[in-house]
Amino acid sequence: MEDKDEDAVRGTSVEPTQVETDLSDETQDFRLLSHLNLYARNAAHPLQANANTQSPPSSLTDTSSPGLPKRGEKDFEPNPTQHQADVLSKSREAMHDALAHPRLHNLNTRVIAYYAPDGPAPPPGIDIEDPARFGDKGVGANVHPDSCVYVPNPKGQYFKNMGQSDRWNRVWLLPEEALFLIERGSLDIRWPIEMTAAPEDEGPEELSIPMSLQAAYACFMGRSGLTMERYTVYTGLKRTGYALTRAPGWDDSAQVEGLKDQNQECASQRPLKRGAGLAGILEQLFSWAQDPFSTRSTAAGPVVGCGMHRNYNNIYRQLAVIPWYDPSLAIDRDPLDTTPPFRVVFHAYRPSTPIKKSAWPAPDFRIAVVNTRETAAIPTLAQLGALLESTPLDPPSGEKMKRLVYMRLRHGYRNVVMAVVDQGIVSYLRIADAAFGKEKLYETQAASMGNKRNGNFRGKKR
Amino acid sequence: MGNPTIPIPISYVSGKYLLFSIDAVTYLRREHHVCGVLIGTLPQIPQQNVFLGLPLELMPEEARLLVDKGVACIVDETKAHDGMKSLLEEDRRQYLRELESQGLNASRKLSDRKGQQREQVLKKLDEKAKAKAIKALENEGETDTPPTPSPSVLDEERSSSRSSNRTSGHTMAMGVTPTTSYPPLAQPTSSQHLPPPNVPLSYPLFAHLSSRGYFLSPGLRFGCQYVAYPGDPLRFHAHFLCVSAEWDEEIDLMTIVNGGRLGTGVKKGFLLADQKSPRLNLKLNEWKVCEHSVLSGQACEGACFCFRCHKTSRLPAVVARRLSLAAVKDTSGDALPCSI
Repeated sequence: MEDKDEDAVRGTSVEPTQVETDLSDETQDFRLLSHLNLYARNAAHPLQANANTQSPPSSLTDTSSPGLPKRGEKDFEPNPTQHQADVLSKSREAMHDALAHPRLHNLNTRVIAYYAPDGPAPPPGIDIEDPARFGDKGVGANVHPDSCVYVPNPKGQYFKNMGQSDRWNRVWLLPEEALFLIERGSLDIRWPIEMTAAPEDEGPEELSIPMSLQAAYACFMGRSGLTMERYTVYTGLKRTGYALTRAPGWDDSAQVEGLKDQNQECASQRPLKRGAGLAGILEQLFSWAQDPFSTRSTAAGPVVGCGMHRNYNNIYRQLAVIPWYDPSLAIDRDPLDTTPPFRVVFHAYRPSTPIKKSAWPAPDFRIAVVNTRETAAIPTLAQLGALLESTPLDPPSGEKMKRLVYMRLRHGYRNVVMAVVDQGIVSYLRIADAAFGKEKLYETQAASMGNKRNGNFRGKKR
Repeated sequence: MGNPTIPIPISYVSGKYLLFSIDAVTYLRREHHVCGVLIGTLPQIPQQNVFLGLPLELMPEEARLLVDKGVACIVDETKAHDGMKSLLEEDRRQYLRELESQGLNASRKLSDRKGQQREQVLKKLDEKAKAKAIKALENEGETDTPPTPSPSVLDEERSSSRSSNRTSGHTMAMGVTPTTSYPPLAQPTSSQHLPPPNVPLSYPLFAHLSSRGYFLSPGLRFGCQYVAYPGDPLRFHAHFLCVSAEWDEEIDLMTIVNGGRLGTGVKKGFLLADQKSPRLNLKLNEWKVCEHSVLSGQACEGACFCFRCHKTSRLPAVVARRLSLAAVKDTSGDALPCSI
């Protein structure tokens, strides 16, 4: 069917746009991947079918380059040509091959782990007289009680920022850590021996059954607050190199102790202590000290009042009658005093941040995870406000921020990242508490005002 | 690409519908236009987010559609894995043997491939040396050239590398992490299947578009409910941003304007759909808003629309009324403010 008609139809293919190039935003052609494939059928020419219409970018055919492929070309709509059908079936074949790639463990480098369905426990055969002395269940205080997989012989790079070791040098992994590692083919998790093997077996080491990926999902997902949404965010960021830990707000049901008292206290304090109220009062005091003769009563007199007006700034200051919110004065809120899912569940660290597992540094990003199917509505101001107040104050700093108003506003005084997950597709939103009231444009533009005044002055002189 | 046995078991894990079998994924994509979303890490290139691997997450709508068609069934995977406890001694041994043979197979393939690559490199080296020798021969008359590496050296190199290959060629079985748990587990019987998934109100739209051959995927990326592709998303761009409404629902005009603007920005049509008498028939009226005319505020009412109905082309009165209102509001000229 390779004839002229087909060429004419084929001409309608859409040229790839180079403007937006977030590759993960759209389904990519798996043929671009086949050079990496162990079982690929046509590894030599991943884009063979296209070769006669357009020479593909050289990086795609170059099998030696390990880099990521460029954006592939797509057609506008299906047409009945054989060519299109061929390309599609090649793409699907490539996808099949890529997904069928097995998870293999080289004998020299493989790391074996064991599933512990009942959580952290000392090794079999060791009795601890006083478990309470060594933290939860006697394995050591720093092991997270939600951990459910242990690695008796931890080696390799992955345990630098994952897992916690106990008194016997075993590293305990949280469910998301274990699942991530098994999924990327870096960990060989075994079913617990007592769970699958009959007790009379002699060589338990040889007979422990490897856990399948499916089994790992079935066992770890839903365990101790790990939802699919959280896991999707976790792996998505891990894959791009971030380090992540659970934040104190991980447990949805957790609440602040003595929440009632604090709330009442807050209710009485808030109007005075934070936000517009205090800023307004300060502002008033300040302006009175500066210009004691002005009349502030808008009801009785003009807003600006009569008197001597030497510069515009004073006038603008007096015109500012609308109270504004100052985020730098807001009180810090307990991370648990928020409404799930608008609550920080992950702390994320840039790959460059040095990490010590015993003492995690202050996170670079705080992430809340929202499932669109459960929370359809946009968060209310109260929910968002609480979420922001639960993060520490992070005012704009640095030379660039000092110079650029827009950068300052965008950075805000507190910020949080909200990961919105719709059936496995994640959108990240950075939410920041901007302080428009703090950016007094009339002060920064005083120079241009000054010119004007000079101009007037000169005019008088003439 | 083998065909899976029907009905395909969909794993129900922690409120989600997942597929782990590659054959099922390929089959459903090919035959039923169900693509799902890949959420797993590809072991061969784990540090990127462009290409993802198994498992495949299905929307409840997709799972429901497949169950209604009789193609799939829902299995409670957590419960099914309790079966690991009651695994028979014989089955376990057989499973382990099977895994070992898989591992052996893989390591053989890997060493074969390494051998091939080495061969290729050596061939290249050989050719280079030859070319050099020829060049040297050509230049010999003019200048004295240093002696080229004699072929014997190359041969030696090659033979040594070959022998090292042979010694490592004695392969040990690699460890394998299987993707699915079937085997060793036995497929659950039909009495153990879960009831069909609960679906949102937009399911009729999903089912309708799917029956017309569209490929649908979740729409959050484009600010809608579903993105509709005319063909497999591997090869085609999406055409529509779909939003479902109820027949008598008052549609906020901003929804339409926002949708239109979003659609224009990504070269897709904004498609609103509703369903009349949901219990009796699943007839859908669809219309596409011509976002340009609404936005420029020059057209009124019916003129704003081009209809893409399959049968009747009635626009709900509510929308018509609100739209004319909008046209009046918007005659000031500029585009409506839009924020998402």
